[in-house]
Amino acid sequence: MTDFDAIVIGAGNAGLTAATALQRGGARTLLLERHNIPGGCATSFIRGEFEFEVALHQLSGMGTEKSPFIMRKIFTDLGIMDQLNVVEERELYRVVLPSIENKDHEIDVTLPANIKALKKTLIAHYPDESENIEAYLTLCEKLSLECFMMLPRAQKTGDQTVLESTCPLYIQYGLTPSKDVLNEFFTNKDLKAVIAAYWCYIGLPPKDIPFCDLAVMIYAYAAFKPCHVQGGSQAISSALLESFLAAGGKVLFNTGAEKILSEDNQVKAVQTEHGDIFSCEHVISNTSPLHTFNELLDIPTPQQASDDMKSRRLGTSAFVLYLGLDCTPEELGVTAASNFIIDDRDEEVAFETMQGIVDPTHTMLTCYNHDDPTFAPPGKSSISLLCLQYSQAWQDLPVEEYAQAKYDFADKLIDHAERVFPNIRKNIEEVEVATPLTMMRYLNTPGGAIYGFQQNTQDAAMFRERINAIQGLHMAGSWNGMGGFQPTYMIGESTARAVLKKLKNTQSEIKQQELSHA
Amino acid sequence: MPNSSSAKNNILHAVKGYQEALDHQQELIKTGTDFNEQKGQVANTIATLHPKRLQLVVSEVIEDTASTKTLRFKAEGIVLPPFQAGQYINLFVNIEGTETARPYAISSAPQQRGYYDLTIKRVADGYVSHYLLDDVKAGDRFQSTGPMGTFYHNPLFHGDDLVFLAGGSGIAPARSMIINMIENTLTHRKAAQKLHLVYASSYEADVIYENELKQLEKEHDFLTITWLISRPTEKYTGRTGHVNAELLTELLGSDLEKLQRKMFYICGPTSFHDFCAQQLEQLKVKARRVRIECNGPPKHPETLTGWPQDLIASDKVSVTINKADGTQGQFEARVDEPLLNSMERNGYSAENACRSGECSLCRVKVVKGSVFNPQEARLRSTDEAYGWCHSCVAFPTSDIEIMV
Repeated sequence: MTDFDAIVIGAGNAGLTAATALQRGGARTLLLERHNIPGGCATSFIRGEFEFEVALHQLSGMGTEKSPFIMRKIFTDLGIMDQLNVVEERELYRVVLPSIENKDHEIDVTLPANIKALKKTLIAHYPDESENIEAYLTLCEKLSLECFMMLPRAQKTGDQTVLESTCPLYIQYGLTPSKDVLNEFFTNKDLKAVIAAYWCYIGLPPKDIPFCDLAVMIYAYAAFKPCHVQGGSQAISSALLESFLAAGGKVLFNTGAEKILSEDNQVKAVQTEHGDIFSCEHVISNTSPLHTFNELLDIPTPQQASDDMKSRRLGTSAFVLYLGLDCTPEELGVTAASNFIIDDRDEEVAFETMQGIVDPTHTMLTCYNHDDPTFAPPGKSSISLLCLQYSQAWQDLPVEEYAQAKYDFADKLIDHAERVFPNIRKNIEEVEVATPLTMMRYLNTPGGAIYGFQQNTQDAAMFRERINAIQGLHMAGSWNGMGGFQPTYMIGESTARAVLKKLKNTQSEIKQQELSHA
Repeated sequence: MPNSSSAKNNILHAVKGYQEALDHQQELIKTGTDFNEQKGQVANTIATLHPKRLQLVVSEVIEDTASTKTLRFKAEGIVLPPFQAGQYINLFVNIEGTETARPYAISSAPQQRGYYDLTIKRVADGYVSHYLLDDVKAGDRFQSTGPMGTFYHNPLFHGDDLVFLAGGSGIAPARSMIINMIENTLTHRKAAQKLHLVYASSYEADVIYENELKQLEKEHDFLTITWLISRPTEKYTGRTGHVNAELLTELLGSDLEKLQRKMFYICGPTSFHDFCAQQLEQLKVKARRVRIECNGPPKHPETLTGWPQDLIASDKVSVTINKADGTQGQFEARVDEPLLNSMERNGYSAENACRSGECSLCRVKVVKGSVFNPQEARLRSTDEAYGWCHSCVAFPTSDIEIMV
């Protein structure tokens, strides 16, 4: 008998979810984590009186208590829903294009987290396009439902006529570049910039994002509400770990995986950085495929994995300032938790600036205690201010120049945001700066990638075959689907389900063999 | 090859843009790689900036005063990683079989990448300081963490008007900051920046870096130093007493607005921290303008609020350790000894660095029983509910079982 049925490498969202689901499903599971705390980027850290949320901006897919959506079911199945205090957000986001000469902002629109109110707000701001707005939002809703319900069913049938009759909008718009759809529906450039602001959560400009992704995001956030959990994403991570342990799971912190040992293309064991070897039938890797295949696996990267990676490109990282401010959100002028501050209506300009250490043109400011005061000490504000950025320029810097470059860029980011929230700097009580190299350090991802590979159309799972060259080795994380919280929890859950099924089959095979020998 | 041909996917050809995406994929494959050439790159990049462990060798032992020595540590085979003046490394030691560690601020400047200086003063009832001062000689080898900590000048909001209140060996990070300001290369000093160092020592003979600092003060306008002796000899003619509100008002003026624009750094023994922080509070300096270096676990946890009433410092409890390999260990510990220390004395360990409750590396899970978490323990909001504590500042208040 093996030491474990399954070993999960990495306690990020997908790893924690997979481990918990596996252990609760009866599989003897070992969870390895090289850090001292569960969560990966779903974590928090303390500076002074502040506990800073590291990565979660808006949790999607929860729905409300009255009309719950899929994440509540998943968290219930994982045994943690009753541990979570969910905070619903009132707004989706505010988009501001600040004026150059201290006049009214050129764009300043706040979208409420409610489908009807969202439509109303957009129409109030852009009355000339009211019909287009109606049509666009209807498309987003219908397309989302096709994506959630019809498309998986149609794919299962393998019957093109079923696809054609049940997914007409998907056929027409699903894989069309978002930019094309926006141009088809709208003429007002401001409106296009406002409605596409969630592109930041994917990290590519709308011209490179398949429309189904953008449509689902705006529809799902509006319909099922963006939310937070008290205690931040760390509360989810800690609850998952607790559920895993309560089910009898075994976790080793400060213990990175060093090697995945295989025999005849079948997973056999995992060796830890401390030299211990644990045998197992299945390995679920929550680390990148680059690390899994090129560094952990004890044999050369299988052709199938190698070929798959060749069509991928590293996704973006981020530069983040965690700010503890000695003033209230109201004093700061915060009217929505999530704020996009943009210099240009063209997202491709922003994408250009993401490539190097140049003046930021798109920043995002999240105020965590806007919707719930428990997220900051009384009278203060807990803020994250960020821009997306690739890591290469940081990797090219001589180490001696790193600290100065970090502060210089942080200064620019604050300048950028201060055009909308002018009193940030003078109220700083605590600040921590995270560059793409910080992401690399804590996530162990190439390029400090925060969402995995670039999520352009051809990156999606439907264009990929499951990499099964090594029996028993499963990938779970942002690198094998979408990045972000909901997608990674879901991929962890589905991977666990697949592994449990395999384990069950193996067990019944063994039983049958025993019976036939009897 | 990604499979565009399997039956499952075939029907998707009906979707507009599907073929284009496949074509795009083929295009990308032509110019892409499987990233094998990047093997080791993440680890190497991180190791240059934030190595987990440094292999160090003592190159020199410099006698500063009768009670203080500076140990100069060179790296074996590599250039030491950069750090920000004020940061510390955690030095791992093995004293007669007991593995433990202590964090020490780097007293040399960040521009000096050939070595790190650690300036160590004898602690009266200490353990590791005696060992480092009495037993360590040139050529001895050590391991440490990379540079860590948040006690440094942050140009984003600290401003140009800096005040450093140093007590005893708390001068170590101040020295690094001063030389850094002179060298002016790592986090550039703005022209207007100035530093007022108030350096308090118990005895005249205890003053560390006296000649060097006096020389630097003469050479550089940005630097002002006030020397203070709390237990002077009769022949001492300089300032005496403590870093109290009265002295600070005399030195820095009473203009509240000006005081609140300054950034105060406090580094010294715990009692010095508490006293200075109180004085600044009395002067109405906002907490956000005060930075206090962490400095070890509380010496007398039984005197702190929240300590269980009926528990006496000398009480002993049993600590059961659930080890990673599935076996259990057990030992007795006094309730007033930090859990990490008693673990180390008994041959167990947890990763650690600040040993002051801040860095959270030493977190362990209390499965049964209870511990006392003092204010120093910067626990995350969900930690206590699930039994997680920072073992370096956690005190067992009943028989406990922990998971490491």
